[in-house]
Amino acid sequence: MEGREAIHTSTHDAHIEELRERRKHYYARFFRRFALLIIAFFLVPLFLVGWGINTYYTKFATARMTNSFHALVDNHRKIIELFLGERSSKLHLTAHTHSRDYLAQVSNLAHVFEMINLEQSSITDLGVIDEHGRHLAYIGPYDLMDKNYTNAFWFKEVMKKGLYISDMFMGFRKIPHFIMAVTRTENGETWILRATINTEVFRSLVENVTIGKTGEVYLLNQQGIFQTSPRFRGKIMEKSPFPVESFHEGTRIRILDADDQKHIPRQIVAQTWLKEPHWMLVVKQDYSEAFSDVNHANRATLVFLLLSAIATLIVTVIITKHMVAVIRRRDAEADQLSKQLMQAGKLASVGELSAGVAHEINNPLAIILTERQILLDLVGQTPSLDEEFKKELVESLSQVDVQVQRCKRITHNLLRFSRRTTSVIETVNLNEFLREVIELVEREAKTSGITFIPELEEGLPPLLTDPSQLQQVFLNLITNAVDAHDGKPYGSIHISTRSDDENEGVEVVFADTGSGISQKNLEKVFDPFFTTKPVGKGTGLGLSICYSIIKRLGGDVSVQSELDKGTVFTIFLPYSPPSDLQESMNEELEV
Amino acid sequence: MIGARILLVDDEVVFTKNMAKLLTNRGYVVTPVNSGDSAIRELEENDFDVVVLDLKMPGMDGITTLKEIKKLGLFTETLILTGHGAIDTALEATKLGAYDYLTKPCEIDELVAKIEGAWEKKDDAQKDDIQEKIKKVVESPSSAFSLFGKKKSKK
Ligand SMILES: Nc1ncnc2c1ncn2[C@@H]1O[C@H](COP(=O)(O)OP(=O)(O)O)[C@@H](O)[C@H]1O
Ligand SMILES: [Mg+2]
Repeated sequence: MEGREAIHTSTHDAHIEELRERRKHYYARFFRRFALLIIAFFLVPLFLVGWGINTYYTKFATARMTNSFHALVDNHRKIIELFLGERSSKLHLTAHTHSRDYLAQVSNLAHVFEMINLEQSSITDLGVIDEHGRHLAYIGPYDLMDKNYTNAFWFKEVMKKGLYISDMFMGFRKIPHFIMAVTRTENGETWILRATINTEVFRSLVENVTIGKTGEVYLLNQQGIFQTSPRFRGKIMEKSPFPVESFHEGTRIRILDADDQKHIPRQIVAQTWLKEPHWMLVVKQDYSEAFSDVNHANRATLVFLLLSAIATLIVTVIITKHMVAVIRRRDAEADQLSKQLMQAGKLASVGELSAGVAHEINNPLAIILTERQILLDLVGQTPSLDEEFKKELVESLSQVDVQVQRCKRITHNLLRFSRRTTSVIETVNLNEFLREVIELVEREAKTSGITFIPELEEGLPPLLTDPSQLQQVFLNLITNAVDAHDGKPYGSIHISTRSDDENEGVEVVFADTGSGISQKNLEKVFDPFFTTKPVGKGTGLGLSICYSIIKRLGGDVSVQSELDKGTVFTIFLPYSPPSDLQESMNEELEV
Repeated sequence: MIGARILLVDDEVVFTKNMAKLLTNRGYVVTPVNSGDSAIRELEENDFDVVVLDLKMPGMDGITTLKEIKKLGLFTETLILTGHGAIDTALEATKLGAYDYLTKPCEIDELVAKIEGAWEKKDDAQKDDIQEKIKKVVESPSSAFSLFGKKKSKK
């Protein structure tokens, strides 16, 4: 029996251990899954939105940037074309309002020259050339009267088109400049009015434009030669590394990637061709500067996304932890409940069984008693019996009675344990009640060297409870405490009461200095039929009866113990019993 | 003086036999039967002062038997024997008109005391009844015919 019990317990413990381990894994898995799920649900949309905003904004900003570049280039082209147009129309006007002969006179030419430069020195020299390429008159800082231009490129061009604007060239003066020439045909003879444009004014028009820190504006001719000095990397009349496209209408905008050595960063380039001359206006800016706004916004978005992600993570962890804690608590509560249910179930089934057994045993006991009585009657009716024999017989018959009474006590205990007792609820002064109970047992316990030490709180509120059942509980606990001192010469039993207004009840504590209960047995003391006492002495029913009575009265009982030191039973009793008990009581009274 | 006439009803044959012997030793006139049915039959045929009735019996149980007995409308008092756990049923039985109950196993002296009580009660009730009837006869002699008949025959 002992062995089987032990094996049973150890497998039981192993089972619980395994369950606990499984639970732990389950919680961990739940935590991971739930966290991942939340992260997926929060972060994926977050990043999608972030990505969407970013893409959309980049597109939008790029378009705006491009447009503004477009406008910039167009503006500059207009300014340059206006400048050139103004110069050419002045020449045109002069040629067509004055005859060749008039202008061929140097004094007249000088006068015109002055008039043209009146407001602003826009040309540096002015010459009249006949159709053979010879100077008829010249005003300017150089002596060019002997020059013959028959073979000059510009001469041929202007004779052909009527207006010519040259590219920049060094010429005889060794400084970059360009010329403008118009023709007039007078009496079948064509002559040319030619002027050198003041390049300083022209160049400042282009070169002085600055855009941001990295922006530049310059002009290229069709061969890719700088017509004005760029702000960075290059000079007028030098060849530009920038590949020149053939003439096209309108404005083009390109992004140039950084070169391999990273000397030149990524740039945005806008280009447009002038109509006359065919020069290309280029506006350039480092991409990073041009798009600094976009980049700024992108960085802000990124930071925002990052912060959101971090916040989500933190919230996720907190929520998930909380959820797991809630589940864990639920599980613990469920465990507690199932433990109690199991205990209740055990008590119920044992109760049913023992009630049946007790009933069956009562009948033979009744018969044994009648048989004994018959024998006693016979003895009384037979006076001839030997006195010695008579005495022996009566003695042994009285022993039969003692044993039958013992059986009766056992069966009555069993039945009391199982039956639904009719509760009689009364007002009970607990302290007084306990003093009576102690008085009842004190005399018996004195012989075994045990003293009772009551510590009863004064002014304890009266309880509404069943005194006869309560007495049974107290007697059982005291009996156990006395039994626990078996083999000890002396000991004590503390009995204290304390009101617990918060839980609306009273706490009664029975603390003894007895043998204590081992950790292994502590879980089982409330089980029916669990006893460590020798056969015939313990039934193992005392504490399970206590348990069911206290539960029925709406209270609670717990035990703490230390081996060889003693045991403490703590009982909680409510000020008034649960309503269902009161109801069932009323019903019984009505019947 | 002759002791009370007792009808002993219990399904345990040995118990009724022993009890009958013990009660006879103490001067009672005992008829043991072992079922509710035979108890009713016995009561219909013979007069008894006290019925000692076990509650737990196969076939017709104690409570049903008690109800049947009550239907007979006799002066006979009923004493209930019961197991300890069945006090609820015993209380129910006293509400149904049983004189008292005893838990099994019980001492013979206890049983005898209760029997005496039941008998006395039965006798008193019968005497009261007779006096009443005499009064009635004195007041209206026409009812004299039913004077010594059974209680049952009045109905
Ligand atoms: N105060 C106590 N000190 C030590 N052991 C106790 C005490 N109360 C109960 N026990 C242990 O619990 C077991 C069960 O007690 P109980 O249910 O009253 O049955 P029984 O007293 O008939 O053995 C006892 O056999 C004993 O081992
Ligand atoms: Mg005990």
